[in-house]
Amino acid sequence: MSATELRLGAVAYHPRIVTIWERFRIYFADAGVPTDYVLFSNYERLVDAVLDGTVDIGWNTNTAYVALDHRAGGQTRILGMRDVDRDWATVVVVRKGQQAGSVTGLTGRVLALGSRDSGHAAILPLYYLATEGLDVESLHLLRFDTDLGKHGDTGDSELHVVRAVAEGEADAGALSAAYFSAFRAESVPAVADLEVLWRSPDYYHCNFTVLDSLDRELSERWSRALLAMDYDGPTLRQAMDLEGVRRWYPGDREGYASLQAAMREQALLS
Amino acid sequence: MTVDPEQVAHRVDAEHLELGGGLEILLAAALERVAPDGVLEIRTPSRAVALELPGWARLAGHEPIDQINRPDGHVVTIRRGSSTRILAGPLPPREAGPPLRHGEMHTAGWRGGAVTPEPDPRAGFAPLGAVPETGAPTHHWRLSRLDKVWADDVGVLVDQASGEQWDASRDIPWETARGLDDTTERAVAQVMTFLAQNEYAALYVPAGFLPHVNPQLVELVLWLGSHIHDEARHIEVFTKRSLAGGHHGYALASTELSLSTLLDEHDFTASSLLLNVLGEGTFLDLLHFIDIHAPDAATAAAARLAHRDERRHVHFGISNIRRSVTIDPDLVVPLVAAAETRAAKLVSLSGLSPVLVEALTIMAAQSLQPADLSGAAADVRALMQTMERNRLRRLQACGFATATARHLSDLHTPNLM
Repeated sequence: MSATELRLGAVAYHPRIVTIWERFRIYFADAGVPTDYVLFSNYERLVDAVLDGTVDIGWNTNTAYVALDHRAGGQTRILGMRDVDRDWATVVVVRKGQQAGSVTGLTGRVLALGSRDSGHAAILPLYYLATEGLDVESLHLLRFDTDLGKHGDTGDSELHVVRAVAEGEADAGALSAAYFSAFRAESVPAVADLEVLWRSPDYYHCNFTVLDSLDRELSERWSRALLAMDYDGPTLRQAMDLEGVRRWYPGDREGYASLQAAMREQALLS
Repeated sequence: MTVDPEQVAHRVDAEHLELGGGLEILLAAALERVAPDGVLEIRTPSRAVALELPGWARLAGHEPIDQINRPDGHVVTIRRGSSTRILAGPLPPREAGPPLRHGEMHTAGWRGGAVTPEPDPRAGFAPLGAVPETGAPTHHWRLSRLDKVWADDVGVLVDQASGEQWDASRDIPWETARGLDDTTERAVAQVMTFLAQNEYAALYVPAGFLPHVNPQLVELVLWLGSHIHDEARHIEVFTKRSLAGGHHGYALASTELSLSTLLDEHDFTASSLLLNVLGEGTFLDLLHFIDIHAPDAATAAAARLAHRDERRHVHFGISNIRRSVTIDPDLVVPLVAAAETRAAKLVSLSGLSPVLVEALTIMAAQSLQPADLSGAAADVRALMQTMERNRLRRLQACGFATATARHLSDLHTPNLM
C-alpha cells in the first residue's frame, strides 16, 4: 500500500472546517490513503493551488469547480460529492400573502441576492429566472456581498437576503433551498412569514476535483475511501454532520451544465 | 423521477400545515412508519409548501423524488433515508412504570431490579431507563464500582432528604436572637462561628466526590447533592445566627487545621468514616447539646434542624462502611490507617480549643455567675463523655471490633468534625 500523502485544499469559511478535516485526516490515514489538508481563505486561491500543484484535491464549490475546469481546459476529474450536492436548488422566497403568482410577476421589482460569486444565491438565480421568462434587466438587484471569496458557503449573505425580504426592503429574495430549510429548522425569525414562490431545477453543488494528471489509481483509491464513510458509525457522525453529508456519491459533470452556461453568459469565466 | 403508486409505503395529508408550523412534526411521525428506502407521499393544498418540501427532505436526510401538481392540490413524494436518526437500538416497549405507594413514587423503589455492581465507567449522563446514543463523548468515572461507594438504603435516605428540607430564612424565629446580654451573645457568636466554619468542610468534602461518581449510580448522585445542599444551608443558618446578635467570633486556626485534613482524604469510604461517622456523628451530640442549652429559640431551632440533617449523613456513613467492610473485611486496615494519618497531621492539637469550651460553657450558663458556670461546666464535661460513648457505639454499628472502635475514637478525640 502506497504511503503517498495526498494534499487536499479546502476553504476555511467557518472554524468547524478544522474539526471536520482533523477527523477526516485520521479516517483517510486509517483507510490507507493518508491525506493532509491545507486551508485557504477563498476559493480563487484554492483553484490556483490545484492548478499549480500546491494541493492535489480541491474541495470546491460549484462556482470554483466550473472556473477550475475552464482554466484546466476540461482536464479535471470529480472524485466525489455529498448526497446534498446532487440535488441542490435555488428558491425564490417572498412574504406570505404577497400574491406574486409566478416569477414573471417580479418584473420591475426588487430582488435580493447573496454574494455575487455564489452560484446558488446570485449567478444561477439570474440565469434561471431569465429562462422562466422574467426580464431580469427590469429587476432592481439588492446584493449582499458579505462573504465574497467563500461563494456563499457561510450562509451569511443569504441570511441578509431573507431579512431584506421579511422587512420589505426587497420584494423577493434568492437563496439555496438548503439554507432556506436550515433557517426554517433553526427557527430564524426572518423566515417565519416567508414562503417559496419558485424552485429552480436541481443542479450540482460542491465536489472534490483533481487534475487529470493525478495518478488515477491513487485518486480512485481515495474516492473509494470517501464513499465508504459510514454515517451510522459513531466515530464519523459528528464530522459528517458538520460537513452536512450523510452519504458520499461518485460525481459527474452533468449537473454543472447550467452553471457553466450562466457563468459564460455573465462573463465570469476568464 | 415518478413513483409507482404501489411503491408508496405511507400517505399523509398535510391539510393546511406548513413547514415551521407543525408539518415537520407530522412528517417525522409519518416517516417512523416507513422503512428505510420506503416512499412517503405527502399531499398539500399549498404550492409554496410543495416547493419547500424537497429542501426539508434533504436537510432531514431523505431523498426528494417527485412533485406532481393536481387540480385538487400537490403531491410530493420522498424516499426515507437509510441512515439512522439516533445511533441506538429501538426504545424498549412500554412498561408498567415504577410502583406507587399511596400515590407517591419513591426513589428507593424506582429501579426495576438491582443496581448493576459495575456500571460502565465511561457512561454518560443517561438518566435511569434511558437508552444512551453511541458516539457521545466518554468519561472516566473514578467512583463507579458499587462496592466502593454504595449504601443499601441510599434511596430511602434520598427521599428523606427531599422530604425534610427547611428554610433558614423563614423557619427560624430570628426575632428571639436579638435580646441576649453581651456575654451570652458573644459566646453564642463564637459557637455559631465554629459551627459554620466546620460546615464548610462538611460541604466541600462531598462536593469533591460528586463529579467523580458514575451517573448510573443515580441514587448516590442525588444523595451527595442533598448532602451538599444540607451543608450549604447549615453554613447559612449558623452564619446568620452568628451575625444576628451583632457580635463576632473567631475562625480558629486550630479548627482550620483539623478541617483541612478532611479535604486531604480522597478515598470515598475513608472519607465516610472520617467525615460522616466520626465528624458529623460527634457533631450530632454537639448540636443536641446546643439545642437543649441554647439561650434563645433561634439558636435552638437552628441546632435542631441541622441535627435532623446530620442524622441522615451519619446514617449514610455507617451504612456505607458496614456494607464495605462486610464485603471486604480487609478494608478495616486502610480505614484505620486513614484515621491514623489524619491524627498524625494533627499532633499539635491536644483537644478542643479552650476558646470553644469557654464559649459553650458560657452559652449554657448564660451568665458569669459561679453557680451557673459550675453547672454549665459539668454539662460540657458530660457532653464530652456522651460524644465518646456515642462515637464508640457508631463505630461498632459500622462493624468495627470493640478494640478497633476504641482506637478510632481515641484518634478522633482532638477534633469535633
